[in-house]
Amino acid sequence: MKAKLHRDFDRVLFIVTLVIFAIGLSSIYSATHTEGSGLLGGLVLKQILWMCAGLVILFLILNIDYQRFIDWAYILFGLNCLLLVMVLFFGRARFGAQRWFSIGGFGFQPSEFIKITYILALSSYLGTRAKFSYRITDLFVPFLITMPPLVLIYLQPDLGTALVLMPILFFMLFARGARIRHLLTIISIGLLSTPFIWHMLKEYQKLRLSVFINPNADPLGAGYTMIQSRIAIGSGFVLGKGWLSGTQNQLNFLPERHTDFIFSVIGEEGGFIGCLILIGLFSVLLYRGLKIAGATADTYGRSMAVGIIAMLAFQIIVNLGMAAGFMPVVGLPLPLMSYGGSSLITTMISIGLLLNIGMRRPRF
Amino acid sequence: MRIKTLGIIIFVSFLFIIIGLFYIQIVRGTLYQKLSTQNRIRLLSIESPRGRIFDTNGELLVDNRISFDVAIIPQELKHKDEILKDLSGILDVSQEDLRKSLKRNFVTPFQPVKILSDIGKKKAIILEEERLDLPGVFIETSPRRHYIYKDAGSHIFGYLGQINRGELTRLKDYGYRMNDLIGKSGIEKHYNNYLKGTRGGMQIEVNNMGYQVGFLGIREPVKGKDLYLTIDIRLQSFIEEIFKGARGAVCVMDPRNGRILSLVSTPSFDPNLFIEDAGSGKISSLFVRKDYPMLNRAAHCTYPPGSVFKVVTAAAALERGGVTARTTLTCNGSYALGNKVFRCWKKKGHGEQSMRDAIKNSCNVYFYQAGSMAGVENLANYSSRFGFGRPTGIDLSNEASGLVPNKMWKALKKRESWYKGETLNYSIGQGYLLVTPLQIVRAISAIANGGYLVKPYLVKRIEDVDISQIEKRPVNISKETIEIIKEGLVKVVNDSNGTGRNAVVSGLKVAGKTGTAQTSTDKTHAWFTGFAPADDPKAAVVIFLEYGGKGGLAASKTAGDIFGKLKELNYF
Repeated sequence: MKAKLHRDFDRVLFIVTLVIFAIGLSSIYSATHTEGSGLLGGLVLKQILWMCAGLVILFLILNIDYQRFIDWAYILFGLNCLLLVMVLFFGRARFGAQRWFSIGGFGFQPSEFIKITYILALSSYLGTRAKFSYRITDLFVPFLITMPPLVLIYLQPDLGTALVLMPILFFMLFARGARIRHLLTIISIGLLSTPFIWHMLKEYQKLRLSVFINPNADPLGAGYTMIQSRIAIGSGFVLGKGWLSGTQNQLNFLPERHTDFIFSVIGEEGGFIGCLILIGLFSVLLYRGLKIAGATADTYGRSMAVGIIAMLAFQIIVNLGMAAGFMPVVGLPLPLMSYGGSSLITTMISIGLLLNIGMRRPRF
Repeated sequence: MRIKTLGIIIFVSFLFIIIGLFYIQIVRGTLYQKLSTQNRIRLLSIESPRGRIFDTNGELLVDNRISFDVAIIPQELKHKDEILKDLSGILDVSQEDLRKSLKRNFVTPFQPVKILSDIGKKKAIILEEERLDLPGVFIETSPRRHYIYKDAGSHIFGYLGQINRGELTRLKDYGYRMNDLIGKSGIEKHYNNYLKGTRGGMQIEVNNMGYQVGFLGIREPVKGKDLYLTIDIRLQSFIEEIFKGARGAVCVMDPRNGRILSLVSTPSFDPNLFIEDAGSGKISSLFVRKDYPMLNRAAHCTYPPGSVFKVVTAAAALERGGVTARTTLTCNGSYALGNKVFRCWKKKGHGEQSMRDAIKNSCNVYFYQAGSMAGVENLANYSSRFGFGRPTGIDLSNEASGLVPNKMWKALKKRESWYKGETLNYSIGQGYLLVTPLQIVRAISAIANGGYLVKPYLVKRIEDVDISQIEKRPVNISKETIEIIKEGLVKVVNDSNGTGRNAVVSGLKVAGKTGTAQTSTDKTHAWFTGFAPADDPKAAVVIFLEYGGKGGLAASKTAGDIFGKLKELNYF
């Protein structure tokens, strides 16, 4: 048994994860070293500590059969939702949104973890029924599961995370075999209700979306980040300005460059080649994940793997698109790269789960 | 199967992002590189001090002093109200004015705003001492034009003003920019390109807040070139002093080469005002005052010459009118032409007189006859030979041409034929004829130097380069004619009953001619023009007094004073 686990441990996936993290770390250093905290001071050290915690958690997860998580899925999901309720009342406000708990000096963001517990809960439902009946009414429960986290995260408000739940849901339903006709119907209903959703958006979210359409409408306000980020990436040209040499980054023209806009640092200092390498690494990561999903006969495991891939892919695509100015600024961190403990730990958990599924999949 | 589809969806999305990155990084990369450079690099200009102006003896006339200006960086101005209150106390300026100035000149929070210029050394020191208590406030220095002699020579120097739209369009390619100071008149305008120098610049690297974080390079400003004038400031100041309160012009020129020793126009103005009180009411009032202090009456205004023109009539009559030195003509106090009577200034007449005496007496009747004998075309011809009707070419802008009428001119302009009576008026320098005082001094110089026109000039040297090109154009008048006229001019001043008696200077042989020009009002313009020493002329003068009465009085007196001063200064 141990030998099989060992053999099926996806080393490529694990190594790529570490490489991407290392690139992220060097970018965080580049983005923050001017604040005078030294190589291991400040955020870089914090991020390394988070990564250590993430690795510990990853190996803990590897030692538990992922089926146990399915057993506990609803309870974990329920607890997580409870935390989301609590954070609304007791959490710390940062950047105008109430998303945080503070535990011993480290910020903790329950809305990051809800992505995992939500995937678990969905997998638990979708996997239980040996035979998915392919009726549109069968889609009712997954949407029911989606509502509590969606509403709670929206109330924080955290548009980015709320949005991630959608591709997770649809990818998982699709992979589970839901009728495309049904999914399209639901998506159309969603699109038709767009004006209503627009109405529900907070003022700053509306501003971000309208600025996306025309960033020059407010170049020093809401459009500033977008313009500066695009200038940073564009000015990187083919080879980039070199590590620690991006002027947009070093001279502080890029806001939030160590968190949501870390990709702009890569684009500026690493150029087009740097971007290609990074996208290549992410492609390998997702490809390995898809391979695990495809090779798993267990519907629980496959649903879970698909959910995790959907989550990671969506965050990567939206984050890259937003940094390059192709998509609105919605505030999603880049997995493994952006500074932030909750996001890093969540990503490490999800990769742990992927590896776990890969190791323990029942073979065809 | 469905997982493969999901994989395709994901990788197609990646492909789109790669295409997008290719577009912004490769296709439009250069644009964004430029934008990122613009983001971080600021060009600060460093003013170049204008060239200084010296007089002929190397005396400094115009230079640049240091102006202490108070500037504020709005971003750092933490306690705005308190600091403005303190500043108001130190600078003796109302808080309201400071606030307004700050608001008016505000650009961005991190760009310094100049709120008060030229506060003087004393206040600057006080402010510097208090600086720790005034965060966000600091002192800037900049070069300022300083006209040491204030009013004296203002019409020579001209004044500086902000470049206007028209000038900017014309001069943009030569490195002029908005808000540049540019010479608006006088030497400052004519030699602006030499005086202005080349602005320097400093490239600095700034961060997103506009704070300097790096220094990339500096190009030192190149100081403007110094000018050396032909003016003697001792003489200039002397003339300004004795001419104070009068309205008119004086020009002293070396008749041999056109060097202008003094050029005075009154009333004058203080060019420092244009620097210190730019935009204030003091300046605009200069332009609307009834006595027009901004006009350079020596070069920019034209007047009837009156009797000083008789020099030209004399030359025309001697050479073209059949008049000789011995020809005598009689004056009975008036001259009748048809049913019209033209009077001499002396009611009982001058009797029979030769050309020399007629010049001495400035006899109108003699010159009516002599002028008629020469005829209008010859009068016009000789006027042109003496340089009337076109600019002298002095190195000042916008010089006036004056007007030399003839039959053709009248036919074209007035659509009338020439009347004989007009020839009579012409002969004594009245009628349509208009001249500038500068043209008069050049014409008299032609008599003084033996028959050539010089080109007057004010700047002899730019730094080390001598630019005094002496231009001599023969008037084409015989030596005899010049001699006769000269002798007449000597009598004007030196004979006991000469009309220019007031110009006499003991121990100096002065030659000259007075003039009293009729105007449309009942007041007359007074003229005197002459040179000395008569046998070897080294200085020629013209004195013009607008509505100054008779030329034989104040104007002659002033000329005498000037020749006396020239003697004192060892010019003779």
